[in-house]
Amino acid sequence: MRALPSRLSRIPAAGSDEPMPGDGDEYNFCNTCTFSRTCLQSGYDKGRLRDLHVLIDHVGPFREGEHLFREGDPFTAIAAVRAGVVKTYVNDADGREQVQGFFLPGEIVGLSAISHDRYPCNAVALDTVHLCRFSFPDIADLATRIPSLQQQLFRLLSQDIGKATLLAGNYSADERMAAFLVSLSRRYAMRGGTSDRFHLVMTRTDIANYLRLASETVSRVFRRFQDEGLIQVDRRDLKLLNLPRLESLARSVLRE
Amino acid sequence: MAKGTHRDAYWVMSAFPSPSFDPELLRRYDRPGPRYTSYPAAPRFRTDFSEADLREHAGRSNADPIPRQLSLYMHIPYCLSPCFYCGCNRIITRDRAKGSRYVERLIREVEAMGKLFDRDRDVIQLHLGGGTPNFLGVDELRELIESAGRHFHFSLAPNRDFSIEIDPRFVTPEDIAGYAQLGLNRASLGVQDFDPEVQKAVNRIQSVEQTLQVIEACRANGLRSVNVDLIYGLPKQTLEGFARTLDTVIEAHPDRLAVYGYAHLPELFKPQQRINPDELPAPDTRLRLLQLAIEKLSAAGYHYIGMDHFALPGDELAQAQKAGTLHRNFMGYTTHADSDLIAMGMSAISHIGDSFSQNPRDLAGWEIALDHGRLPVWRGLHLDTDDLLRADVIQQLMCQGTIDIAAIERRHGIDFQDYFSDSLARLHGPIDDGLVEADRLRITATSRGRLLLRIIAMCFDRYLDQTPPPDAVKPRFSRVI
Repeated sequence: MRALPSRLSRIPAAGSDEPMPGDGDEYNFCNTCTFSRTCLQSGYDKGRLRDLHVLIDHVGPFREGEHLFREGDPFTAIAAVRAGVVKTYVNDADGREQVQGFFLPGEIVGLSAISHDRYPCNAVALDTVHLCRFSFPDIADLATRIPSLQQQLFRLLSQDIGKATLLAGNYSADERMAAFLVSLSRRYAMRGGTSDRFHLVMTRTDIANYLRLASETVSRVFRRFQDEGLIQVDRRDLKLLNLPRLESLARSVLRE
Repeated sequence: MAKGTHRDAYWVMSAFPSPSFDPELLRRYDRPGPRYTSYPAAPRFRTDFSEADLREHAGRSNADPIPRQLSLYMHIPYCLSPCFYCGCNRIITRDRAKGSRYVERLIREVEAMGKLFDRDRDVIQLHLGGGTPNFLGVDELRELIESAGRHFHFSLAPNRDFSIEIDPRFVTPEDIAGYAQLGLNRASLGVQDFDPEVQKAVNRIQSVEQTLQVIEACRANGLRSVNVDLIYGLPKQTLEGFARTLDTVIEAHPDRLAVYGYAHLPELFKPQQRINPDELPAPDTRLRLLQLAIEKLSAAGYHYIGMDHFALPGDELAQAQKAGTLHRNFMGYTTHADSDLIAMGMSAISHIGDSFSQNPRDLAGWEIALDHGRLPVWRGLHLDTDDLLRADVIQQLMCQGTIDIAAIERRHGIDFQDYFSDSLARLHGPIDDGLVEADRLRITATSRGRLLLRIIAMCFDRYLDQTPPPDAVKPRFSRVI
């Protein structure tokens, strides 16, 4: 039933890569790289990592709607998003899609596969996506030699697990939506993007599914937040006008 | 309070100066140009735009965090009698049975389109246009509107606009009462000119009495607004005759008025071949007719909205222009911001998300598509970022008479002077002629330029320099005055 072979597990990476702003080269890490600081601090520059064959294929572009991997594909690699947004989801027994998460530039897709031989979910590009692909056995091996890299991997893993359980509680629609917006804002800020303005690539159905709300509810809350002066929405462009207020709404969801 | 009111009034006048009339200037700038009810204009649409493309854009439009509200347009192409000036796409027939067969298919299109849009998207605007919508009986219109109400969710907001174009010659006060019961709250009446000589020359005999009776019935049945259409430049038209028409219309006090210039393009619009070109007013008279209309309407307190449109100061259009919330789409000026326009019926043009799409202009093409269970898409266009940027600029110009440069730069992430260096160079002529004032912050139409908004907009139109794509129909535009 598979329409297209997924491309993350395909080896080697296709040579269709286009240079991007902020891209690394033979010697420099990409500026979105989550591992760069850890590695550099431990004395592993990019050349040395390449010598160790850990890495690091730039893959992409993936076009909107194209799958990075599908549930059940053999797990060989994790990938850092260099550009674009990735959605992960599973289909439940009734064939209904359940959105698990959204991955922004700098974030790692595929971590949930570490304990399996196969990817436990699907990953799809929501817009034009570029990735940096790491061979998992190799980076795990490297982590045994760089303790801080090991820690970084653990940290990422626990964040990933945390993300999934965050919304499991009994929270109101307002709290969920505020937490979603605050989380996006912080994650964009962490990668040096603007934290009060961003483009929502995900559809309202995806947002609703992820937050376990009806999509009408998502729009109703967006509209109310806008009426109350918390945000400003222009089609997919979002501006946070009152972050402190959103943060206080989000506090219980974000466990702060 | 009085002071504030006064200041507001002054501000309106200074921001939107009444058009001043300079015959020499208007003559010089009278050239063919698009009307910018859309940008890019319809001749740019491409026939490789498919039904699948329309579905794709509709799906995307549902996905916004706050999806836009909806506007519905339904086109009724039939007319009982041919008016010779007509440039619309219409079918003349006395056979009313054709109406019910048309409605049957139109309802199928309503049903198919309704499936593409999420139910929480309110219909805030509905317009029945033509042709002659009152070619259909009240019962047929009821079927149509009720089906739209089943397949879409009508807004319950008091400011929703549900409107119908009426040919006053073929409507009774009972019909109007019926329209009001269907929830229609605005009417637009064709008048053109009451001068009997003109009416004979254009084959449209319509008495003052029957027209006033219809306006009266609209008011009696609680319709919120009445619009009257006039045309200048018709055969046999005289200043005296048109002055009498204007006086009569002003006395009836419609909320809105449109004064269109007649565009004689007989090679393009077949009915116009029955107009004797020798009877058309000379260019000078044509200009004086326009001047007369502007002067009389201004003196009567009407506010010039832009292009061909006037409104009483208390009307929502005038209020929206003052508040900077006026918009323009295929149905003309509107107070409803950026809704997605779903247009149904033969030749209708939709504007959904970042796309335009048009139905077949021939009845057979439209019918065949629906009979085969397809959405009747003939041609359309995906708007790219450049199109969207220029559409925004032209919209500001047509609606507010001014371009806020910083707002455009912020919304589109461009450097205006750099991006529009070609356009700004093209503006030099109009600036020297006093049509436009430009500085680093704004580009504003002066009172001299207000009648020539199309000329200013054309400076920002990327496509006027280009030949159309090979599969597009050759563009033909009416003159700007």
